[in-house]
Amino acid sequence: MSNLQTLQQRLLQAVLADRAPRLRDLCGDNSADTTSRLAIYRNGYRIRLRDALGTEYPGLGLMAGRRFGHLLESYIETHPSGHYNIRWHGAGLAAFLEYGLPWRDKPELADMARLDWAISTAFDATDEPTLSATALVDVPAESWAALRLRSQSHLQILASPYNVDAFRRAADGNKQRPRLRHYDKPRYLLVWRQLLTVRYRLVEADELSALTGATQHETFAQLCERLTEHHDPSNALPRMAALLRQWLDDGLISGWELA
Amino acid sequence: MVQAPPAQDPFAMTTQTHSHSLPYLGYGLGLRVDHYETLLEHPGNVEWLEIVSENYMIPGGRPLVWLEKFRERFPLVMHGVSMSIGSADPLDDGYLARLAALARRVEPAWISDHLCWTGVQGINLHDLMPLPYTEEALTHVVDRVRRVQDVLGRRILLENVSSYISFAESQLTEWQFLAAVAERADCLILLDINNIYVSAHNHGFSPLDYLDGIPASRVQQFHLAGHEHGDRLLIDTHDAPIIDPVWNLYVEAVRRYGKVSTMIERDDHIPPLAELLAELDHARLLAAPLLREAA
Repeated sequence: MSNLQTLQQRLLQAVLADRAPRLRDLCGDNSADTTSRLAIYRNGYRIRLRDALGTEYPGLGLMAGRRFGHLLESYIETHPSGHYNIRWHGAGLAAFLEYGLPWRDKPELADMARLDWAISTAFDATDEPTLSATALVDVPAESWAALRLRSQSHLQILASPYNVDAFRRAADGNKQRPRLRHYDKPRYLLVWRQLLTVRYRLVEADELSALTGATQHETFAQLCERLTEHHDPSNALPRMAALLRQWLDDGLISGWELA
Repeated sequence: MVQAPPAQDPFAMTTQTHSHSLPYLGYGLGLRVDHYETLLEHPGNVEWLEIVSENYMIPGGRPLVWLEKFRERFPLVMHGVSMSIGSADPLDDGYLARLAALARRVEPAWISDHLCWTGVQGINLHDLMPLPYTEEALTHVVDRVRRVQDVLGRRILLENVSSYISFAESQLTEWQFLAAVAERADCLILLDINNIYVSAHNHGFSPLDYLDGIPASRVQQFHLAGHEHGDRLLIDTHDAPIIDPVWNLYVEAVRRYGKVSTMIERDDHIPPLAELLAELDHARLLAAPLLREAA
């Protein structure tokens, strides 16, 4: 191992450690000793990660309230950053909250983190074409059953029994902290980017089923079949047509092909 | 004791050379989100922009749409913070590939990063950590700069960082080290005037000695910025106006290096664009008589 490597490793550990060790590698002088010089790097590391996490997780910040600072410190101390882009340090926060004590006893925090992170990753996801509302008018009537839709590949569906969307909306609008609500069943949130704007909305059970089918590249006939589990068979096709119209308006569909 | 590099460096025979000269761009700004709209509508006296490379090394979305608008309007240069050219870890090939892809998209006048390391053992400190100024570190950095320049197909600029620590094993001054890297690796220098001022205060050297030790032929760009006072040390925060002693040092730099593309770097407490335009005008005013004399 080279001198440079061992020196950098010692300095790295000195920045990450709970307490600053005394490093003989460093020079101090009358203006400042080595401990206070090293402290600039130690503090800077933690401040930068805390600021970056705060930016990526506004909903979680609002939900956690006064505990947010402690939550971030716990994460930073146990999860050194491994990516050159500081923003990606936040990728593991939801898992940390889901499995780590004491946070796992508040499952709404992990759900909130998942929504914040989904919004963050949709923001700069790969650009894909967006099918316009009129793009399907030329599909022959007899071909519709075999039509396969391509959804935006960045689209995410999250399940949570908590009103995490209300927290995120309040955080983005600088509104007061909403009251935490717990529902009997999970609610499903669709997160996607419409052109350049990240959006999220609740989806009902029938839309969830159809959307899941669409992301799995099922045919239009199969999507209608899925809707018969939620609607009278005579209403499945009109409902599917309405959903398709909404998906096109929302910019969820990037293309189509015939099976 | 480390010797200054010879004029004819034997390493130069083994690497690709990147001899094309770079343009003079005038006076520019670091592109920040707060100024996107104003800069496009009322660019004022801004002649070029420096983008932070990592902010646009992304798959898609709004930042790249903005980037295209600025690319159509201004000469751009790319300035990175994560190359970690001095790290003992292997160079990050994935990072370099993304950087090269962005360069193909942006077609920048040049690409720069910092003479520092940002992490080791796969852990990133997200800070510009100083190097020990030793022969070992010099050889290590020179080799890596050459490899980066071969990947990018162009000479890069390396910037001097502000620092708060120094190493007992250092054998060279910071400016000797920077000059030696530039000469041996055949790269260029982005001289941050504020960083020289901050480090000179923190380590007790003369900033004029620093300027005198840097070869003029290697200096391609100046950074100007503000800083703040810590308890005993100066902290490079880029969150305040440029102070008079840094302006004075800028004058000394212009006196030594002449016409060098200059930009103002503000990263926090971003003021209205007009304040930065006024600082740019101040830089022009200070440099003009010296450049007239030199002409």
